[in-house]
Amino acid sequence: MTTSPSTSITTPSRHSLERRLKEVKVSKSDLNALVMDYLDREGYPSAAQKFASEANIQPTSSVDSIQERVAIREAIYRGDIQSAIERINELNPMLLEKDETLHFALLRLQLVELIRSCGLTSTDDPTPAINFATTELGPRAETNPQFLEDLERTMTLLMFEQKDLPPQYATLLDRKLRVDVARRVNEALFTEQVERTKTKLSLLIHLHVWAEQKFVEGNKELPAYLRFWHVLDNDNQGNDHDGMQSSGEAATMASEPAARIEEV
Amino acid sequence: MANNPPYGSSGPPSNAYAVLTNLIPRRSSYASVAAGNLNTYNQSLISTSRPGTFSHLANPNSPSPSYSHDQHSNQSARRSHRSSETDTHMHDNASVPGSWGKGSLGNDSGQYGFGQFYGMAGNEDDANGGDFFVPSYLRHSKHVERLHQAHEAKTTAQREAPPTQAKGTGALSSRSSNASLPKLAPSHRGMTYEVVEHPPPEDNGGLTPLPSKWAEADKNQAIEIGPDGLEVHFVGGSKMHDHEGAATRTDHPIPVQVGIYYYEATITSKGKDGWIGIGFSGPKVSLERLPGWEPESWGWHGDDGNTFCCQMTGKRYGPTFTTGDVVGCGINFMTGSAFFTKNGVHQGNAFRDLKDINVYPSVGMKRPHAQVTVNFGQRPFVFDIDDMMKREREVISEAIIATDISSLHSHIDENSFVKELVAQFFAHDGFVETAKAFADEVRAESRALEPDVDMSHSNVSIEEDLDGTNRQQIRAAIMDGDIDKAIKRTHAYYPQVLRDQSQVYFRLRCQKFVEMIRQTAELLEPHPAQAAKPLNGHGEGHMDAGQTEMEVDDPKNEVEEWDKMEMEEADISVKYTELLEETIQYGQELKQEFQDDSSREAAFKEIFSLFMYEDPRKSPQAHLLDRASRVPVAEELNSAILVSLGKSSSAAIELLYQQTEALVDILAEEGGAGALINVRKDFLR
Repeated sequence: MTTSPSTSITTPSRHSLERRLKEVKVSKSDLNALVMDYLDREGYPSAAQKFASEANIQPTSSVDSIQERVAIREAIYRGDIQSAIERINELNPMLLEKDETLHFALLRLQLVELIRSCGLTSTDDPTPAINFATTELGPRAETNPQFLEDLERTMTLLMFEQKDLPPQYATLLDRKLRVDVARRVNEALFTEQVERTKTKLSLLIHLHVWAEQKFVEGNKELPAYLRFWHVLDNDNQGNDHDGMQSSGEAATMASEPAARIEEV
Repeated sequence: MANNPPYGSSGPPSNAYAVLTNLIPRRSSYASVAAGNLNTYNQSLISTSRPGTFSHLANPNSPSPSYSHDQHSNQSARRSHRSSETDTHMHDNASVPGSWGKGSLGNDSGQYGFGQFYGMAGNEDDANGGDFFVPSYLRHSKHVERLHQAHEAKTTAQREAPPTQAKGTGALSSRSSNASLPKLAPSHRGMTYEVVEHPPPEDNGGLTPLPSKWAEADKNQAIEIGPDGLEVHFVGGSKMHDHEGAATRTDHPIPVQVGIYYYEATITSKGKDGWIGIGFSGPKVSLERLPGWEPESWGWHGDDGNTFCCQMTGKRYGPTFTTGDVVGCGINFMTGSAFFTKNGVHQGNAFRDLKDINVYPSVGMKRPHAQVTVNFGQRPFVFDIDDMMKREREVISEAIIATDISSLHSHIDENSFVKELVAQFFAHDGFVETAKAFADEVRAESRALEPDVDMSHSNVSIEEDLDGTNRQQIRAAIMDGDIDKAIKRTHAYYPQVLRDQSQVYFRLRCQKFVEMIRQTAELLEPHPAQAAKPLNGHGEGHMDAGQTEMEVDDPKNEVEEWDKMEMEEADISVKYTELLEETIQYGQELKQEFQDDSSREAAFKEIFSLFMYEDPRKSPQAHLLDRASRVPVAEELNSAILVSLGKSSSAAIELLYQQTEALVDILAEEGGAGALINVRKDFLR
């Protein structure tokens, strides 16, 4: 329903955004807690320990418990899925039983690793991989169409020479699959304790981008200085020569916000 | 007696030395001042010319009207048309137990300081001063959190102002009314200086309180408001024409910043034919109509169950309502829609396209014996609005998590991006050891994944950071209170910083002065309140059960403590005088060095006011002596050094936090989805 213009409330302007920025009181303890949460959840025990002492705060988990999760991550990164599964079962015996999808993802990764280690040339013997697939994965795949599809796709790897792999199958051998599975395991181990699966830091980044999008949807101009991440390029310019590939444009924008924020 | 400033019990000392030697004997007058009457105290302060030393240091402008006077006049100004009941009223309230601080944020139903409506029904502008309630569905609201903080700050200030003044805030008092200081212009904000340990009150002008009751000044004369401010009944005649009615609005408009607003009305008596309208309307809408009949007004009418949207013609909506029914009215500012409920049941959307509206809850009636009582959230609602709010929040939260953030890190994957943020934070804030450990672990992680591949191209590289170590040492020196060391090191490593950034240099110098004051004060025994105690009580005094909150427990002080115990009383006295003289000399040099810069006045006044107190650790300015006060100094210097190196003054994560809060705030300002987000509560806890 239309209303007379006299009642319309003031539209926030660029000015009010700057005012808001000035008003925000960043709490150092919030920031430290945010970072500690990250180190804990993402598994950096020695950094967490140092940070606790340097920032004079309490660690959120013990170094040992972070270390247990790190060991699982490293086993998966190495491709040693068997030992990862054993460690998970030690840490949380019910987890894989309850989360069949996660269990299947691990087993399938194990199959991929078997295929990789069997070699992918016509002269290699694929028997261990086939045995594993039929005993461990086959029965589970029957219960779930998605599992079945994933299994079939994985088995297709055996039909190709490694160098001839079509791109859609090559991704299975990408190490990224290990990273993904390790991340899912880590999140699952955490979801048991707290509800959120992501780190606070990650949530905050999502919130920033979400808010930006809403801002733009509301036809509001988004000032360049709101791109906090440009600070990275800016700070890395002087001392980072390993190819951060910060584009010239980004760098120019970054130096300007730095100056503006400083006033704030 | 009782009216003397601390330094003036035996007449104002005539020179600096007199101030020094008088410091200790002053104790008795201090106590008497503490017990004294504040108004007369302030007056006597004005008539007393400032003693020698202090007037050199502080602004020599003669103090004008006393603080307490200012404060009251501002209070009354805020109470606008109620100017006659000024300070006495305020103090009366302060002395009534339970008058203040009822209904905290976490409150559940039932604890809402409700009785205040009766006690203060005549005092309209006390709505956010006396009673404060949080409707259960708005417990997460950032806006309500702000209102709550403002309310707390205000009540705390009111509660604490008298005793604070009695303790002798002479310097501050005259300062806050000193016309030469634009930043401290006489306003109620002056009060924030008195209660600095509390969050400063929000500027109430910028915050719209929640509607809390019907407004006497905004009702039709055919309506009478009950003593609780919530009940209204019709007192007009029975001869109203069809197009006539009588309506009322609330004390405050609905703040769109809450995202969703909801209130309920119980029809205690339908009147002759149930001709009652429940809804909301703009501030200028005629009160001689039912809500919905005029432009800028919307309502649901009990006689026919129709909704009316800015016109006399109704639209089929829901059932009729009558005596005993509870009718709820909700506005969703995020979707621009409104709905009604009846006895806890949602009746569906009633209005759409409500854009840029500024409305008040409103009810209207037109037949004798009609009576309605509303609930603005002081009590639990019949309809489960909490659940609706929860679901809305979940939807938003899912959308946030589902947001694609790849635009932020086009050149690397998300994990590496976040790692970079974290690494930059450590490097920036000078967590050198953590930065190293993190870099090592990140490298180990990469090696575990791909032992054969050189990962350096896709990785966070944190080199041994000499610069970081330097900055860390400078920070550590400030945190230890060793400002000289910090200045020396900064000079050595970053000579341009202190040269170019005079503000930072000035702050360091001021901190040095504060540290000197603190060292001097620590020679006093720890309990200035126990005036009768001789000087030698200091050693164990720190340890016993009566220790004060001013006690500082860092290791350095323990050493000093030990040194002190080794000294004879006489030595302490000599040392005290020496230190005090040194401090005063340092202060004078400081003043001289920066005398041309009028922008330093406020800072000077603040730190030099520490001289006013026999034991500054017990003064209202004691926060300056806190270890925590070193943190901002250390951070400002760190930022200045980083800027001088061409880097950002804030870590990326800090900017992320700051920007996100600001963005969400702006989104909330228009009642958008941001209104349902409380960044700290939802994302940082």
